Amino acid sequence: MEKIKLLYEGKAKKVYSTSNEEEFIIEFKDDATAFDGLKKATISGKGEANCAISSRLFELLTIEGIPNHYIKRLNERDMLVKNVKIFPIEVIVRNRVAGSMAKRLGLEEGTPLDKSIIEFCYKSDELHDPMINEDHILALKLATEEELSTIKNLSLKTNKVLIRFFMSCNLELIDMKFEFGKDKDGNIYLADEISPDTCRLWDVETRMSWDKDRFRKDLGQVEEAYREVKDRVLNTPIKGKVRILIQLKPQILDAQGSVIMNALKSLGFDEVIGVRAGKLLELTLDRRIDQIERIERMCKELLVNPVMEDSEWEWIE
Amino acid sequence: MNFGIIVFPGSNCERDCFYVIKDVIEQPVRFIWHKERDLNRVDCVVLPGGFSYGDYLRSGAIARFSPIMEAVRNFAEKGGLVLGICNGFQILTEAGLLPGALGRNKGLRFICRYVSLRVERTDTPFTRDYREGEIVRMPIAHNEGNYYIDDVSTIKDQIILRYYGENPNGSIDNIAGIINKEGNVFGLMPHPERCSEKILGSEDGRRIFTSIVRSL
Repeated sequence: MEKIKLLYEGKAKKVYSTSNEEEFIIEFKDDATAFDGLKKATISGKGEANCAISSRLFELLTIEGIPNHYIKRLNERDMLVKNVKIFPIEVIVRNRVAGSMAKRLGLEEGTPLDKSIIEFCYKSDELHDPMINEDHILALKLATEEELSTIKNLSLKTNKVLIRFFMSCNLELIDMKFEFGKDKDGNIYLADEISPDTCRLWDVETRMSWDKDRFRKDLGQVEEAYREVKDRVLNTPIKGKVRILIQLKPQILDAQGSVIMNALKSLGFDEVIGVRAGKLLELTLDRRIDQIERIERMCKELLVNPVMEDSEWEWIE
Repeated sequence: MNFGIIVFPGSNCERDCFYVIKDVIEQPVRFIWHKERDLNRVDCVVLPGGFSYGDYLRSGAIARFSPIMEAVRNFAEKGGLVLGICNGFQILTEAGLLPGALGRNKGLRFICRYVSLRVERTDTPFTRDYREGEIVRMPIAHNEGNYYIDDVSTIKDQIILRYYGENPNGSIDNIAGIINKEGNVFGLMPHPERCSEKILGSEDGRRIFTSIVRSL
């Protein structure tokens, strides 16, 4: 898969078209900006770290049944994603008070919240991404009521999954920013990235920030933060089960299926007009990056003989 | 000429092959354990029949990853003669050294009996001692001998043996044995090593081996 045309360049990422119009490539850059572009820097290793962290987390979310744009990681900086049209809305989910919320409401950073809070910002460079509410979103027709409700549900569900996963990395998920997109059929996917650039992550024991705040607030160890989160995320097992169904290609006579069908018919189940038999494999998997691509390789290299067989697979846990 | 017979865990026709090559056609032959990585100067490699790796997953699917298969592949690429019998044929298709695949017999039963075969080509190192169009009799013994390929016209010049009269397993175009495009890798479902002496009821299989000897 090759990059064909640069479609968009943002602060931390570039988006390219590919030979397949359904798919884009996102390239993660080392550049960072903060305070609406006033502060700029290059953080060595950030692009690779964010690409790895995001890939891993999107795979986790796929396992958890949260639709997202991730297809696979192509190399250290590039990720293949679905072509989705991004809603011009940033969704912020907060589990503790921090950043702009602390400043705006005069609350102390780290104040716990009984219930997660959702905020929305309108993605607009001229307007400097102003905070808006749900009525604004509907008035500006940024999303329909139904889409907004899906976006909110997915945000809260994703928050829950990520809180639990980061906790096993010894990190507390303080808040995060999500973006969503929809494909040409109107299906909504979590998009963008999930990384220390878009999440506040505090060490459970030391309460130290392991995120972009190290850069925003000049806390030092900026490069280390990205590396540290990457190491913790990649070394934390995502256990999952995959079910692989292998069947003979439809044009091949499935003698076993025919015999089963005849047996059913002889028992009086004459409504049965077709039976296809197949093989079912259940794989229990442990920590790996690029798991989706690897499962496809397992099928291709060993589990399925493409001359005779078709296969499909799904996460079951 | 030197024959090498690859032995996989679950192979069970290697001794019959060994006997025919050593005692019937009187050529030097040795076993090569599948864990070896080197063929050590052989002129023809035989992948014998059996149930390598218990036929788990698919017949031949796991044997193709045995360490020796890398050497077999290199040997084949350099033009060395490779003969795959029954499970050996299945391994060669799984390894991509021969096109197509072998699926379950249409009748869902293991078939062990003599069949009639027509020799379609005799301009190969494996069949030169036959007459073109000759009908021969050899035993088959398999559960997965149903040859399949999406477009059989792509291998029409590679069909060496066809079932004659009756198709025992549903094989497409009655295919019982095929050769690769280069003409040095041959796979067949029947067992020529089981019919190389008169006392066994047929010696039609013997000429596979004598053809190979005469080719080198």
